[in-house]
Amino acid sequence: MKILVGYKRVVDYNVRIQVKPDGSGVVTEGVKLSANPFDEIALEEALRLREKGIATDVVVATIGPADCQAHLRNGLAMGANRAIHVVTSEAIQPLTAARTLLKLIEKEQPDLVILGKQAIDDDCNQTGQMLAALWNRPQATFASKVEISGSTAKVTREVDAGLETIEIDLPAVITTDLRLNEPRFTKLPDIMKAKSKPLESIPLESLGVESGDSLKTTAYAAPPKRSKGVMVKDVAELVALLKTKGLV
Amino acid sequence: MTISPLVSLRERLPQLKLTTDATDLEHYGRDWTRRWTPAPLAIALPADIAEVQTIVRWANETGVAIVPSGGRTGLSGGAVAANGELVVSLERMNRVLGFDAADRTLTVQPGIALEAVHNAAREHGLIYPVDFGARGSCQIGGNIATNAGGIRVIRYGNTRNWIASLKVVTGAGELLELNRSLVKNATGYDLRHLFIGSEGTLGLVVEATLALTEAPPASQVLLFAVPHMQALMQVFGACRSRLQLSAFEFFTDRALHHVRAHGAQAPFEQVSPYYVVTEFDAADEAAQAEALAVFEHCLEQGWVSDGVLSQSEAQARSLWRLREGITESLAPHKPYKNDISVRIGVVPAFLQEMQELLTREYPQFDVVWFGHIGDGNLHINIVKPAEIDYAAFIAECERVTELMCEVLRRHGGSISAEHGIGLVKKAYLASARSVEEIALMRGIRAVLDPRGVMNPGKLF
Ligand SMILES: Cc1cc2nc3c(=O)[nH]c(=O)nc-3n(C[C@H](O)[C@H](O)[C@H](O)COP(=O)(O)OP(=O)(O)OC[C@H]3O[C@@H](n4cnc5c(N)ncnc54)[C@H](O)[C@@H]3O)c2cc1C
Ligand SMILES: Cc1cc2nc3c(=O)[nH]c(=O)nc-3n(C[C@H](O)[C@H](O)[C@H](O)COP(=O)(O)OP(=O)(O)OC[C@H]3O[C@@H](n4cnc5c(N)ncnc54)[C@H](O)[C@@H]3O)c2cc1C
Repeated sequence: MKILVGYKRVVDYNVRIQVKPDGSGVVTEGVKLSANPFDEIALEEALRLREKGIATDVVVATIGPADCQAHLRNGLAMGANRAIHVVTSEAIQPLTAARTLLKLIEKEQPDLVILGKQAIDDDCNQTGQMLAALWNRPQATFASKVEISGSTAKVTREVDAGLETIEIDLPAVITTDLRLNEPRFTKLPDIMKAKSKPLESIPLESLGVESGDSLKTTAYAAPPKRSKGVMVKDVAELVALLKTKGLV
Repeated sequence: MTISPLVSLRERLPQLKLTTDATDLEHYGRDWTRRWTPAPLAIALPADIAEVQTIVRWANETGVAIVPSGGRTGLSGGAVAANGELVVSLERMNRVLGFDAADRTLTVQPGIALEAVHNAAREHGLIYPVDFGARGSCQIGGNIATNAGGIRVIRYGNTRNWIASLKVVTGAGELLELNRSLVKNATGYDLRHLFIGSEGTLGLVVEATLALTEAPPASQVLLFAVPHMQALMQVFGACRSRLQLSAFEFFTDRALHHVRAHGAQAPFEQVSPYYVVTEFDAADEAAQAEALAVFEHCLEQGWVSDGVLSQSEAQARSLWRLREGITESLAPHKPYKNDISVRIGVVPAFLQEMQELLTREYPQFDVVWFGHIGDGNLHINIVKPAEIDYAAFIAECERVTELMCEVLRRHGGSISAEHGIGLVKKAYLASARSVEEIALMRGIRAVLDPRGVMNPGKLF
């Protein structure tokens, strides 16, 4: 069984995001970039399926600028067999990402595609669902448990009401939630081995993907600063203040 | 009938927050050590410098002793009040008072938590580099009073290096402003440094101006599995020669056992007797390549058997948790703590002797080694076996500490690297300081605190 894993590079989760002074985007120069945490979970799940003998081939794919190679090497060091780099200097939106991934599916013929439920840079939560629709295959989103038997997958999903378990036929798209697993650390010997693992670069233009980018970002702004609190002497003063502010 | 001295304190400071509630007495009467039963007279929580000063003057008149109290994360019993003292907690004086961009300093009240200082510095695009596991609870006043070290001493030094100015109320009740943030001030004795590391015995720190610095470039964390003790310093040498280190820490398999029992993730499938956590500047891929080269070299030499490298901040934090979680994971076992240091050059010989000593003397105890080995600082914790009575356990540990002092003396080391002497290490002060030095310390104390009201019974 072959698994294709989406593996996007984003500004590290623990970095304090700063908006560029001219409002044209967020600062990424000199900022730590890491794998999207949900994608790391996706890769970990694929590796575990391979370790259980269910999968044989784990392919990580990223769509991003030329310097994403080091990022893909990290995915290879974590344990993926191969990597595919779809090179584009432009930031793309979910529909374009889904169409691009569909091209990779046509090329690779995976039995399972695992993506993060969302990427923490744009928080769209759309790519997996769009990909399943375009591919015309089942989807199981927000997975917190995945069990494969034969050509079906039993997936526990984190939904508003709690947990929901569904069974889907493979090939299919699964998107990961936070509790699915805890990704492993990357071993230094594996980082060395990753240098010689296959990494294929494909220019996005060469895939003939029709752009689905229809949103235009007009400006970025930092959230408003929390205003300073005020100290009140007693309940009466608190009530009076709330009233003047029109809050009660 | 004797009138409680608290009556006159209340008279003098009617607004002072003062409590004698039993749970407060217990809560504020002890630090992280659990050897002494808290028995303070009362707890005062002053709101400003004037209140602190009045309290100290009152103490001079009544003879009631004062125990300055910070976050009480201290590991030497320095903040323990077991003899009817007035605990003076600075926790309500916890504000940032100002930032000076030209000076690159942050002025704070003493009760501010170390982590709040970190956050305040970051607000201004700078860092306050002293850092360690107790950051969320310990206070800057306590850090100053113990000259706290931590995990970045290798790069930035101890708390002492970062104190631009101090306001203190001496044991005699005088308010002093020491150094006024001057970078250069050649006007005689620098009294500021007397108060740093004085463990509350000379006066109370009531305000501090901290030097800040620019944040280092992005970093990565390496964890190495090290097969034998003598390789630790070889690995240190290899790392230091090729990487810009900001931390170099070690721990043993026993320590890992305890943090894992506390919920941490195992880094390797194979058990290794020693581990090293090191953090280095990794602004670009070249630095990662250097780290790999260091690893390859160490692997060839047989100094490491495995290693992992953080790929994200989240992973860096989980690797750090393996080291930083040790103290907390051991706390329920009430361990006997050693916090010893030697100069870096003699660490290998010292490690060898300590290992022999402890294997010989503690065959039955769980001995947990960890610490800031890049600074020559080892924390050796002895865990009490369940079947042994606590008093007997401490007596046995103290017997071995005497022997440890001998080894330390031979190597010119110190019985307290960063936790302070407090109550815990009082009996061993003479192993690290000469008779003349101790006499001078007492003399200085007598000048600044003539009635001996400041934290009596601690340090000496
Ligand atoms: C998990 C953990 C990890 C730790 N790691 C480290 C480490 O890496 N490096 C290190 O150096 N220490 C470490 N410690 C020890 C401890 O956190 C430090 O010594 C810290 O500096 C103590 O600060 P505190 O505010 O808790 O002081 P407290 O424990 O409240 O007091 C310590 C001493 O300072 C005095 N004092 C407190 N405030 C004042 C004041 N305003 N004026 C005058 N005297 C005062 C007290 O009387 C006492 O003698 C660790 C502790 C824990 C629990
Ligand atoms: C051209 C020039 C440039 C200078 N530039 C600087 C500068 O940039 N920065 C700066 O700080 N200073 C500067 N100085 C001042 C002077 O050089 C320094 O203060 C220097 O440290 C003094 O050293 P010295 O050995 O000449 O001391 P001396 O002048 O001999 O003595 C200075 C003091 O130290 C005491 N002393 C000397 N030796 C000992 C000892 N072994 N033990 C105890 N006390 C002792 C003396 O009693 C005296 O109080 C400069 C001076 C000159 C002439």
